[in-house]
Amino acid sequence: MKRFTRLAAAAVIASLGAGTAIAEGLYTPNLSYRTGPFAATGIPLMNGQADYMAMLNARDGGIGGAMIDFEECETGYSTEKGVECYEKTKGKAIVTQPWSTGITLQVLPKTNVDEIPILAPGYGFSPMADGKVFQWAFNIPAGYWDAADMIVQYIEGQGSLDGKKIVFLHLDHPFGKEPLPLMESLAEQKGFELVPVPVGLKEMQNQSAQWLQIRRERPDYVVMWGWGAMNAGAITEAVKTKFPMENMLGVWWAGHDADLKIVGEDGKGYKSISWSFPNADAPVMADIKKHVVDAGNSQSNEEEMSGVFYSRGIIISAILGEGIATAQKHFDTAEIDPGQLRWGLENINMTEERISELGLDGMVPPFSTSCSNHTGHSGGWMLEWDGEKFVKVSDLLTANVDNYAELIASSASEYADANAPWPVNEDCEG
Amino acid sequence: MLYRTAGQFKTSYTADQALFPIRQDAYLLGIILIFAWVVFPLTASEFTFQTLLIPILIYSLAAMGLNILTGYAGQLSLGTAAFMGVGAYACYKMVTIMPWMNPVVAILLSGVFSAGVGVAFGIPSLRIKGFYLAIATLAAQFFLVWLFEKWAWLYNYNASGAIQVPNLKMFGVYIAGPQADSMIQYFVVLGIVTLLTLLCINLTRGNLGRTWKATRDMDIAAELIGINLMKSKLTAFMVSSYVVGVAGALFVFMWRGAAEPNLFDIPLSFRILFIAIIGGLGSIMGNYLGAILIVGLPVVLNTLPQTLGIPISSAMVEHLNIMIIGSLIIFFLIIEPHGLARLWALIREKLIIWPFPY
Repeated sequence: MKRFTRLAAAAVIASLGAGTAIAEGLYTPNLSYRTGPFAATGIPLMNGQADYMAMLNARDGGIGGAMIDFEECETGYSTEKGVECYEKTKGKAIVTQPWSTGITLQVLPKTNVDEIPILAPGYGFSPMADGKVFQWAFNIPAGYWDAADMIVQYIEGQGSLDGKKIVFLHLDHPFGKEPLPLMESLAEQKGFELVPVPVGLKEMQNQSAQWLQIRRERPDYVVMWGWGAMNAGAITEAVKTKFPMENMLGVWWAGHDADLKIVGEDGKGYKSISWSFPNADAPVMADIKKHVVDAGNSQSNEEEMSGVFYSRGIIISAILGEGIATAQKHFDTAEIDPGQLRWGLENINMTEERISELGLDGMVPPFSTSCSNHTGHSGGWMLEWDGEKFVKVSDLLTANVDNYAELIASSASEYADANAPWPVNEDCEG
Repeated sequence: MLYRTAGQFKTSYTADQALFPIRQDAYLLGIILIFAWVVFPLTASEFTFQTLLIPILIYSLAAMGLNILTGYAGQLSLGTAAFMGVGAYACYKMVTIMPWMNPVVAILLSGVFSAGVGVAFGIPSLRIKGFYLAIATLAAQFFLVWLFEKWAWLYNYNASGAIQVPNLKMFGVYIAGPQADSMIQYFVVLGIVTLLTLLCINLTRGNLGRTWKATRDMDIAAELIGINLMKSKLTAFMVSSYVVGVAGALFVFMWRGAAEPNLFDIPLSFRILFIAIIGGLGSIMGNYLGAILIVGLPVVLNTLPQTLGIPISSAMVEHLNIMIIGSLIIFFLIIEPHGLARLWALIREKLIIWPFPY
């Protein structure tokens, strides 16, 4: 009994302590997925995000004097849990980071009513780029249509695409289908033949049927829109069928170090477009090591920290941090609200100088957002697997956004019509 | 003491066959209904509506549909989620083709489509039984999910292949879509669930329910005493799929707001089957108890460490949660293999004879 009383007392004290800790600072929850089928890719991303915020809290005392309360709510990549987490956190949150296309689709209409910015860096719905229609949604710094355009540009750089055949190997899921309309229009413009090969969610790990089809088609290139277990499945299958790896290119979520370590040397030449790059010499890495890792507050490890996904997590948190800082400066207050953060995220100007000021040298390309441009269209680098790690093999590629601006506008207005009444940002000019 | 039945005399057959022969049962139900209709709406937060009350009701309804087929008529089905999907997609098509339609009418009508599909997939049950039938319903599961993916007309040729619930009004207030208020959605769900529960209770107590039970207990004997097995099995498939279809429409329209085809994949079927089994096959109340255990408890457990202020990472909570729920399921099935409803029935019996057990 005595022990129980002591335990109860401890719990009460702990809750008081936790209560006071939460009251201060900016609450930026992250709907993480450290469990479930996609955990292997989730953990490095989540660690990168958390470590950057922990570093800011330890080094600068948060952003602009306000501590960042970066809390994770575990979803296991399940949409149901994601909505639960959104409902749980939305009361105090200044931003929501849904972390899956499925959760984004569910939460997107709700954020418009609840007026909370939704930050989906490099995922979610490409038409979210239209900031006039999607007032509260951001997919900074680049969307899937940017990725598809840049990949095609890169391939074109190796010779005309006329008469070539490109297999589009994609997950049969909203995420994988997303670039299809753009790829189709590019195929028409550039004269290549597009062969979409879907991979069902149940076939992710066993793609022998798909690769049999690819072998029959004899494509010049394979463009892969894969995620989670699908990537490792496709890469091992490509190696097995002796597909020339230098002709296989993936989206940024298909460039996970661990997927390629399985095949090692055999995967040499595999490419993935990316708007983030792990630069071990960047000052931010040294700061994270000093303030977070050495202090024993990181869940990461040396190997993971040198990978692409960990550094992407850092960039995502840095974008959020920059949005917060911009808003704080403009509204002259440390404790910003969701509406003010939206202004901040709409007015990010990530110049080369600002990037090196933040210590992110070479880790992210420069970009800027506006009220009508909620993506930033940063462009990206083509990364190549050299047998041990990813290296940059291209200069900065920038997407030809004008080419599909109409597609963005029409898809966005289609969405708004289907969800009428859908309030749009009337004040936003051009 | 609380459940003393002394003094409650039945003077007519009607009284003896009443829904609640013991007065206290009616009181208990009254209290539950007051809580559901008055107390919860007055006190619940939006979080409670969205993660506890609405999902528990919808899952209970889906499990009830399955329970009619599996628990009352003895036909094992693994295709529940697919039939829910039929209801959801039917409802989506109806409200997009006919936007003037009353959403509640659309939800209730969408069950008709799933009932039709259910009967079609129920036809093999006339020849095959048990596990073999389970495989036939599994075929429905795979085929229908494939159809939801491939038949672009179903999701209005949307590029992402998902359906989004539009904002729907009834009598001037939004009842579905992102603009809808949680409390109003809760009342719509509660109304429909109450109505269908009443229907199911009376169906299972009546003539039809008795033919189902006879079919379940021994189909040859049932046939010998003159029950038309075809009619019995197909009506079970029909009623079950209707309820499941309505649950599916509610699932998407009143709760999720958007759905992709793989939402209706086999994990959802299993989840509903678990609710029905743990709650108790062949009972109506069991579905509610099962849903509270499988759907509600994890949510409560997830929020527990934070409310108590225990500093523990969210991923760890998730792992603990899975372990706790798993062991609870095993625990309940060991102490009462016939499910929670049976457990409650035993408790009630003990209460009636308390404090003088014989």
